[in-house]
Amino acid sequence: MTRESLLIATLVELADNLVDNFDVIDVLTVHSNRCVDAIDVDAAGVMLSSPGGELAFLASSSESMRVLELFQIQSDQGPCIDCFRDGRAIVNYELTEADELWPLFTPRALAQGFRSVHCLPMRLRGRTIGALNLFRTTQGPLDDEDIVVAQGLADVATIAILQHRTNLDAQTLNGQLSIALNSRIIIEQAKGMISQTVGCGMDEAFGQLRAHARNNNLGLTEVARRVVERELAIEDLVAPIAAKPPR
Amino acid sequence: MATQRLVAIFELLAQHERTGPASGMLCSVAAEITGLSGAGIALVSRGEQLTSMCTSNPVAASLMDLEMTVGSGPCVDACGSDFAVSEGRLDQTSDPRWLAYRSRAVALGAGAVFAFPVRIGAVQLGGLALYRDREGAMTESQESDAYLMAAVIARAVLALQARAVKGSLAWDLEREASFDFQVHQAAGMIAVQASMTLGDALVALRSHAYALTAALSDTAARVVARELWYDREIDIWRNVWGRSE
Repeated sequence: MTRESLLIATLVELADNLVDNFDVIDVLTVHSNRCVDAIDVDAAGVMLSSPGGELAFLASSSESMRVLELFQIQSDQGPCIDCFRDGRAIVNYELTEADELWPLFTPRALAQGFRSVHCLPMRLRGRTIGALNLFRTTQGPLDDEDIVVAQGLADVATIAILQHRTNLDAQTLNGQLSIALNSRIIIEQAKGMISQTVGCGMDEAFGQLRAHARNNNLGLTEVARRVVERELAIEDLVAPIAAKPPR
Repeated sequence: MATQRLVAIFELLAQHERTGPASGMLCSVAAEITGLSGAGIALVSRGEQLTSMCTSNPVAASLMDLEMTVGSGPCVDACGSDFAVSEGRLDQTSDPRWLAYRSRAVALGAGAVFAFPVRIGAVQLGGLALYRDREGAMTESQESDAYLMAAVIARAVLALQARAVKGSLAWDLEREASFDFQVHQAAGMIAVQASMTLGDALVALRSHAYALTAALSDTAARVVARELWYDREIDIWRNVWGRSE
């Protein structure tokens, strides 16, 4: 093995190890740190819901953030909980001693030095799957631009989660993808054959396939396959339809 | 280090999803993260048949089309193996592989070409093709970014397909991809015109495109538009002006 191919083999192994056993917590911790660097906040954290709907703490940029995230989950109270439940962002919320919204959470956050909170929902296909939480030690609103960036950061966390979960079902999904792609190819080939034989357009050719499938209680792909394998003559396919009287 | 790069990939994806066009996000990010001139993704089905999923610019689209026409090239090779493929000097090497592909790829604007298998473990989905408009090998960090990107693509494609109605391509996947099925429609038409099998019809279409130095997708479109057909009686291709080609 040449030096170059040995290097490539090593790279492949590393990449596979990283992404196959992709440590989502690792990724989200790095991501939390980048949030703190990217916008004007002092701590970031990510919570994710389990299939059962319970929130779990995944990652944060600092220990004090971690404590507050865990506390919110345990006491079932706090901005992140509300954000997750409602699926709506909480932005520029200033924490004060007199706060009534989160009577257990707010004093603890103030004690840790935080003065304002922002929570962005992590949404995937219409569901809220978690929340990206950003805390500041100062008061005053976040820039509009920072808010846009913050939602973008929440989207990144969502992509990371999605990538991780997909790992679990690769074999099955790939099989389904292969079948779907092959079926589509066969259907397109059959359309071409019908279009040429009958002298109609592709849409009408597709209509013929569908009608035959329906009238004979067959799957669309199966009809297409029979056309393509010449088990079903195109004349047999279209003639009965042409013969039907108009309604 | 690799984790940082993975997060960088995710950030680009999120950015493209927000601000970019509705499709081709995976290719665009692949080109951007590796710093190369363009990228294309192909999916493999029925063992060997390649279907182009998306490309990041017209040159990448022409290169992918060329591989489909001649049936050889970096992406074809990468799709069928466990190993990445690399040619840093497309114009000058005396490497005998890709004879039909090589000079045409240079004419289309490629100085160097690379391709990486897109898979998850043993599950092979297709390939990621990359090109540079000048000569030059990839650096180590470009290569490791490409491997990571290929892994991300594999998962993204499956994630997009996951919500499909059973037996069909997912709407999310079709929207992200630019599948061109006209080649298969055209093959169906030619199979009837020439009394050939579909396999032979596809070969005939590809050969004709190659002979004309035309894109396979353009040639297929002409067939579907009935501007070009195969005249069985005299065994030649004819076009809408009544001339042979």
